[in-house]
Amino acid sequence: MSDRLTLERSPAAALKWVSTPDRRKVVFAWLAVVALFVIGGIVKSGFASGHSISTILVVASFTGYVATGQMFVILIGGIDLSIPWVLNAGAILLVTSSLGHDSSAAQAVLLTLGLGLVVGLVNGLGVGYLGISAVVMTLAMNGIMQGAALGLTNGLTCSRCTASTPPVVHRAVLGSPLGIPNDLLLWLGVTALVTFVLSATVFGRRVYALGNNAQASFLAGINVKLVTVALYMLSGLFAALAGITLTAYGGQPTLGLGDPYLLQSVAAVVIGGVSILGGRGLFLGAVAGAIILTTLVTLLQALNMPDYGRDIVYGVVILAILLLYGRERDLG
Amino acid sequence: MSGLVERETWRSPRRHFVAQNSPVLLSVMILVLALAAYYFLYFRQLGVLPDTFDLTTIVDNALPLVFVGLGQTVVVVTRGLDLSVGGVLSISVALAATQMAQGVGVFGWCLAILVVGAVAGLVNGVLVAYAKLAPILVTLATLSIFDGLAIMILPKPGGQIPTVLTNVLTNPNRPYGLAFVVLALLIWFVLRRSSYGVGLFATGNDETAATANGINVRRTKVWAYVISGVCAAAGGLFFAARTTSGDAGAGTPFVLTSITAVFLGGASLFGGRASAFGTTCGAIVLTLIVNVLFFAHVNQLYQSLYEGLLLIIAVVLGLVVGRLARRQG
Amino acid sequence: MGENGAGKSTLIKMLCGVTRPDGGEIRVRGKQVTLSDPDHARALGVGTVFQELTVMPWMTVAENLLVNDPPRGRTRLIARRKLPDRAAEVLTSYGVPRIDPRALAADLSVADRQLIEIVRALQRKPDILFLDEPTAALSENEVDWLFEKVRALRQAGTCVIFTSHRWREVESLADRITVFRNGANVGTRTSLSEDEAVQLMTGKAIDRAFPKRSTPEEADPVLRVADLAGEGLHGVSFDLRPGEILGVGGLAGHGQRELFLFLFGAQKTTGGSIEVEGRRRRLRRPLDAIHAGSGIALVPEDRKAEGLLLAMSVRDNLTLATLPSVSKLGVIRWTAERRSMNRAIDQLAIKSSAPSVEPVGALSGGNQQKVLIGRWLMTDAKILLLYDVTRGVDVSTKQEIYELVISQARAGKAVLIFSSETEEVARLSHRVLVMREGRVNAELTGEAISAERIVAAAIQSQDGRGARASGDGEEVLA
Repeated sequence: MSDRLTLERSPAAALKWVSTPDRRKVVFAWLAVVALFVIGGIVKSGFASGHSISTILVVASFTGYVATGQMFVILIGGIDLSIPWVLNAGAILLVTSSLGHDSSAAQAVLLTLGLGLVVGLVNGLGVGYLGISAVVMTLAMNGIMQGAALGLTNGLTCSRCTASTPPVVHRAVLGSPLGIPNDLLLWLGVTALVTFVLSATVFGRRVYALGNNAQASFLAGINVKLVTVALYMLSGLFAALAGITLTAYGGQPTLGLGDPYLLQSVAAVVIGGVSILGGRGLFLGAVAGAIILTTLVTLLQALNMPDYGRDIVYGVVILAILLLYGRERDLG
Repeated sequence: MSGLVERETWRSPRRHFVAQNSPVLLSVMILVLALAAYYFLYFRQLGVLPDTFDLTTIVDNALPLVFVGLGQTVVVVTRGLDLSVGGVLSISVALAATQMAQGVGVFGWCLAILVVGAVAGLVNGVLVAYAKLAPILVTLATLSIFDGLAIMILPKPGGQIPTVLTNVLTNPNRPYGLAFVVLALLIWFVLRRSSYGVGLFATGNDETAATANGINVRRTKVWAYVISGVCAAAGGLFFAARTTSGDAGAGTPFVLTSITAVFLGGASLFGGRASAFGTTCGAIVLTLIVNVLFFAHVNQLYQSLYEGLLLIIAVVLGLVVGRLARRQG
Repeated sequence: MGENGAGKSTLIKMLCGVTRPDGGEIRVRGKQVTLSDPDHARALGVGTVFQELTVMPWMTVAENLLVNDPPRGRTRLIARRKLPDRAAEVLTSYGVPRIDPRALAADLSVADRQLIEIVRALQRKPDILFLDEPTAALSENEVDWLFEKVRALRQAGTCVIFTSHRWREVESLADRITVFRNGANVGTRTSLSEDEAVQLMTGKAIDRAFPKRSTPEEADPVLRVADLAGEGLHGVSFDLRPGEILGVGGLAGHGQRELFLFLFGAQKTTGGSIEVEGRRRRLRRPLDAIHAGSGIALVPEDRKAEGLLLAMSVRDNLTLATLPSVSKLGVIRWTAERRSMNRAIDQLAIKSSAPSVEPVGALSGGNQQKVLIGRWLMTDAKILLLYDVTRGVDVSTKQEIYELVISQARAGKAVLIFSSETEEVARLSHRVLVMREGRVNAELTGEAISAERIVAAAIQSQDGRGARASGDGEEVLA
């Protein structure tokens, strides 16, 4: 710990802290967050008010959750394209299994998270043990989840599908007994926990090692397959969590609910400075990435940008960031 | 001559053919199975065998996927992946539905749409080959951009496709569809036997080796994405001709199905090996599946589930067959 | 000529347009040229056989051979049907009709792929021919074949640039010899003795200062290997005692790498047994080897691809294999990790300005190698498998590594060592197993060990045929 503490004692040490490219990218990302709110406050009055910020952050948290899962698999050079329909299926499962009753809300939430874990497990087994490429495996899984969700609910027209989110789940996510929405506290907790796990635990170190050099990690005694499976399971878990919070936010699941989140999850991670090749990047960057994306789109919407503009902006932002960060790839 | 003339027994050309084309032969087998299932279920339901009209309709329905899949094949050969084909197809459909309504300059617009596809592919290609970005990320981002553009062009489903286009591209009463499949395969045949074809497969095999052998890897890759863009735009034209109206979301399913068709067709995950013939078989299988599910009374909504399962099965089978074929050698 | 990393391959890559020089000029027939790509060089009459083969694995032999000049029909389209016959003609005219033109390159042995690479370059009838270590994988017969072709080309007026490790080959073929050291030309001669050549290559007298070996204790073997077999290895047996340094010699590619990987559980074996400290072990993955008895450690061949996490810090790299010992409930204890890191840095004299943040990729080759060795010393493994640990390392670090190996043995560790420099194996080991075609061809002990004897034992075979790297022969040797 002494290493860290001494570093934060003086401004010079703080400068030294940002001396690595990974940390610098995180600082840039957070500066961009601040800049966006400042610009928003100038062009649109009330944009940077406490209430507005809190609303934006709640919306950003959904992206934040899927980006968490996506970051885990991207850190080992993988990708999870199954997020949209795991999220969507999770959202549907939450209401169809609870039927909006508080009494069965707990089981429904656990069931939904379990669904995410199981899908992640299958993804992980396919990638880690069968050697299927991550893109193909998770793309197929997205199709499977989509077909299953549509077929089983008859296109979301089944009688159980009309139920809404149990009120207790809604309150648990969006209530604000402590002055700020619980959802933001949850996101803060997730951020703290994931940052801790990635930076201070054996598991986290192994994740980075695996992303850096899978062969070397294998020869250093890391159980590569097991770590891979665990990470895909985490990705599924966070997609399901996003499904739960989104349904709590919207009241009812809709078809296509998860579709925008594939791109957003990847974009948030990339904007946060995580290398798509794996092994590099800090979680705080991905958090900032999620906030940047949401704030940017909210700002553009406030300026009357049509809906399709969002898709275009996401695409352009990703490409711009890739072009910007792609240059640093070769540096040690 | 020094003593290197000891001649070992060669495998016969036919055995080489079987071993080297086992994934494609597998895709033909899957096609035969799917056809058999289709004939069987059709007969059980209707008491007669499908006639030429039914078969022509299947080919017409398969056409968009055949074309998108062929473009995807070219990209997969270079170890890339083009997710943006969905967006290009959507733009193509949206343009066709909004611009051709008056029925004037239909074929001029067809050409224009193909050019739009080429430009879209060029953007992908330059970003992948010259900016050295990961294909999956580039095409994921451009997919989003192209989807947005398609909605901008055609905000609500609708529009009108002139009947002349339908009659030429997908006339169910005439086997034009089949002619287009043959044309596509013919183009591939020429491509495979051109210098570009050699460079394409060499690039997918090993970029360093290809460079050392004088192949311009970057230009080859750019062209691969351009071809994919043109093919996706052509697929959009066939799609519009068949559905006779436009929908800016038309392309979305093609991301999954085009990749599925390529791997059902025996392409290698590791690049350098793929076959247009196989992809065409894969595309027809995927189209047949819809009919098979229909006659088997399976809810159509499950379609993407079966596509996903097929993709995983195809890839796993490909890995297993590849390993077995190698072991024999 | 020159040692590994002396710059031979880099020079050839520049001269044939694969990589661009940062400066300087190239003149072809007196005219200055800037080679834009390999095609340009080819147009100027340059032909190249690359050290890293440029044969495309998923293409057939015929497609590979004729990639630049395929037979075309009347329509200018490539006549794919004619490819095999044309390729067979070419192969026959170069005296290698043995290779099946319809086979996939991926299914050929390394030697056969090398032959294709050579034939492809020769058939273009280049004016200038570069051969970058073309003989590494070839048998004696095949080397003779190659030399015959090269001499014929020279007669016809082709200028040939040939690089090799093997002195005998260079001596028998070359009119002039240029020696490279650390990326610079250190001398061109028309006649050169072997001693002079080695002196020029290493920059010092041959007699390198190898530290004195200790005598190993008379103890029970800590590692006992019996009939170990798997892909590339056909039944190898030996014992390894504490304090002993057992060398593995022979030409590269004769099963040494496989032996090390099998002993570390990194590759599947098909037969035989491994006993660690008297107990039979099944090593299915490296983790099993690390936990077998008091542990096995492997410093792998390619430190960049198989060893280090180049973008991660020196600390992360050092403690990667020992994380559980510096952590509690899965949480890394920073102070413990730091202490353990500092111990390794002190022991190996690793030079790093900020070991907790500095990426290991920013260190010099020698320091990188020390970090990798340090990682495994920290595990306190009783058995050290060292595969070519001095590769691409500067002379002074080599010296340090020799001393380290000896001192580890003195401390009771059992060491199995392979080096691409036979001299090292000869000077460090108490005993040497010379490998050939996946088997132990000879065992040398004590005074009998010398570099010359190792090389002799490596190429000597019962049936008089030369060495072949493919290892597919079933004949019984040794």
